[in-house]
Amino acid sequence: MLRKGITGSFGAAIHGLGPLRLTDAVINRSKRMMLDALGVGLIGTRTDVFSKALAYSQMFRSDERSSVWGRSETTLPPHYAAFVNGVAVHSMDFDDTWHPATHPSGAVLPALLALAETLPGRVSGLDLLLAFNVGVEVQGRLMRFSSEAYNIPERFHPPSVVGVMGSAAASAKLLGLPPAQCAHALAIAASSCGAPLANAATQTKPLHIGNAARRGLEAAQLARLGLEGNPAILDMDCGFGVYYKDYSPSAMAAAADYKWILEEQDVAFKRIPAHLGMHWAVDAALEARAKLENATGVTFDLSQIRRVTLRVPPSKYVDCPFPGTEHQARHSFQFNACAALLDNEVTAASFGAARMNRPALRELLARVEVETPEDNAPSFDKMYCEVEVETQRGQSHVARCNTFYGHWRKPLTQEDLVDKFSSNASSVLCAEGVEGVVEVVGNMEAVRDCAVLSSYLRLTSAPEEQRVTSRTIQRAL
Amino acid sequence: MISTLQKTIKPVSAVRGLHKSAVEALKGPAPENTVTASYGKFISEVKPQHLSSVVLHRSKRMVLDSIGVGLIGSTTGVFELALQHCKHTYAPDDISSVYGRMGTRLSPTLAAFVNGVACSHALAIAASLSGAPMANAATQSKPLHIGNASRFGLEAALLASRGLEASPLVLDAVAGVAGFNAFYEDYVPQPLESPNDGGHMFLLEEQDMGFKRFPAHLGMHWVADAAASVHKLLVGFGPGTVSPAKVQKIILRVPKSKYIDRPFPDSEHEARHSFQFNACSALLDGEVTVQSFSPVAMRRPDLLALLSRVHMEYPQDNPANFNSMYGEIQVTLVGGDILKGRCDTFYGHWRNPLTNESLRKKFRNNAGAVLLPEKVERLIDVVEELDRLEDCRTLLSQLY
Repeated sequence: MLRKGITGSFGAAIHGLGPLRLTDAVINRSKRMMLDALGVGLIGTRTDVFSKALAYSQMFRSDERSSVWGRSETTLPPHYAAFVNGVAVHSMDFDDTWHPATHPSGAVLPALLALAETLPGRVSGLDLLLAFNVGVEVQGRLMRFSSEAYNIPERFHPPSVVGVMGSAAASAKLLGLPPAQCAHALAIAASSCGAPLANAATQTKPLHIGNAARRGLEAAQLARLGLEGNPAILDMDCGFGVYYKDYSPSAMAAAADYKWILEEQDVAFKRIPAHLGMHWAVDAALEARAKLENATGVTFDLSQIRRVTLRVPPSKYVDCPFPGTEHQARHSFQFNACAALLDNEVTAASFGAARMNRPALRELLARVEVETPEDNAPSFDKMYCEVEVETQRGQSHVARCNTFYGHWRKPLTQEDLVDKFSSNASSVLCAEGVEGVVEVVGNMEAVRDCAVLSSYLRLTSAPEEQRVTSRTIQRAL
Repeated sequence: MISTLQKTIKPVSAVRGLHKSAVEALKGPAPENTVTASYGKFISEVKPQHLSSVVLHRSKRMVLDSIGVGLIGSTTGVFELALQHCKHTYAPDDISSVYGRMGTRLSPTLAAFVNGVACSHALAIAASLSGAPMANAATQSKPLHIGNASRFGLEAALLASRGLEASPLVLDAVAGVAGFNAFYEDYVPQPLESPNDGGHMFLLEEQDMGFKRFPAHLGMHWVADAAASVHKLLVGFGPGTVSPAKVQKIILRVPKSKYIDRPFPDSEHEARHSFQFNACSALLDGEVTVQSFSPVAMRRPDLLALLSRVHMEYPQDNPANFNSMYGEIQVTLVGGDILKGRCDTFYGHWRNPLTNESLRKKFRNNAGAVLLPEKVERLIDVVEELDRLEDCRTLLSQLY
């Protein structure tokens, strides 16, 4: 069924939305998203997957170069800078999550920063904020075209579907393309969408965000050269609609008096580098452990435990009783609940090999049962997690988490968000770099030239020759 | 949980006749028993001696044809655009350009594929780069689908050679977590047999390739051949023109397929995807060629007159399937005469393959648009001898 004008309305809105349309709420929320994305990206440059993506990208040469976050000396062709920085952002599954589910910032910010470094004129903080919000907004709009997008995914990994489109929209905005070319950028990008969910919980997952960033950027640049795709790409079922079983698009409102989705629907920020669903399990497990300790008066001990029951929503790709790799562990209700019970916290270090293979942890995992109650919907807006710990003596302690701290219904305080950033960023940047980024992003709307941001992102604490692998970091922690 | 897993691995067991190892396989089927692993193994184990003479012959024809269409394709607007983009993005340094560097880097990297595991990962990484919607067919973006397929696949292999890992079950059908089956609604995977047992036969042995005679969607070839036969009836067997004034009505009987059904195509890309355009061009000129899609040819009043007289019919017995479809044209002349043409298998279809002579003629037309005649002939010779060629650089150096 061909409906008219939806694609055109997107092209018009991407072109027409100006800085005056950004409200205070939207500016505040998007600055928080930028800060968090930069932080998780910086610590992400210490991962194995990042070093592979970087080594691959360094095969290419170009005249234009863009920065690699957390590297003082390394630059890459802009597409590859967008790629590796995007990989870094998603490398530990630590980046933001929206509703309906996707990771909006990692697909957009790396592309914009890489692009900004190549543009001849000055790019202000407000320009960057505007393009960023256009990229995020387009993703939100597209996800509202189907009910399939509202549940935990089964077919395609959402950033690989909407992330590319968001990056294309954002890049087209920053390039100042006319409306028709903005629409063509979306059409070209649509031909780069779609990665299957089976690669989530593998080392390839972070590439979905890296690729979203660079393919969207590329689509905008090809559109600028005059390449055309289908001008009704968003209107047609055989266009963007191929990625959804139930597809029902609608036009974007005109730029005047625009209502941003981000104003009404905030993002969630993660406290743990793991799939979002794990946060419910961890918060519930921590509370159950506290209840147990209160009741028994002694510190939690593995030998006390007969059984642990987890009541979670049904979702095959985060149901992993004995994860073998760090990526699987980040996608395992069982693992995260047990780590929380054993250690009273779950941090980046919890996913290191040594911690993962502890006999105590394996033993506790063997005592876990998973139930999927009917009323527990596989949706980040509605799910809950219940943890029931049964002792050898037959006593039961139950805790339930409906909304974890960091969820959009219970946002991280600004202080905690900045703490998360500082902790992440200081693994790579010196104090001046860390503070510089916090300050620049905090005042983004007043920044005259966002090149200053890129320079802070290169203020590393150690010489580049020191190649630190994630194993080394885990030992250090 | 165990019962769910049993359901998951049942199809594979049924196909392979393996014992069920459900209890131990809490993680799923043993890694070496998956469809995905069988593909990885095959890719890394298959050797030149496994290529039969039929497969060699057919694939050399494919290589020749691809080179030819690629060479003439380098004269198109979309190629120029893509080249601009790549040149702008990547420096033209001899040592470091994408093209030159690929040539020198690739061999040692691919030599690292000592086991099937890396090959499986390459496939899985590539799956994350798959998928473009049909709406961009019949647009200028369509050619990028093939260009991207090529480079994304290469990228996946290079990343896998560096140790990047992805899903070991990407080709297997796992309920609730889509792998390659994300792209198909009814997906039933089968493992690839090992080439070593002698049990493996290349599909190309049984199912030949179709080669196009003109640059348009494959479906166009049926209606073009049908219309060309009517053209011959109208003008006799010498050269001549068909006068639209004589034609009252044209009926085309074709399969139902939205994206190749366009009464008045606006662009060259749309014209390549229009039953109506290709039928009328062949009716008018006796054939469809590269030149049929030029702006001048597309705007001819005679052609537009014919287009306005076309009616479409979609008979029930004409499925949208390249193995079973047909194309039929019925022309009613002003005087009342009715002429019919029908094509079940166009010349170039796998059931009616191009002769080697025809294939080379096509190649000479294509490659000759860009290369000197001596190079064109050398290319034909080199590809003919491809299986005996010591060093592929002999081929590569003829391509420019």
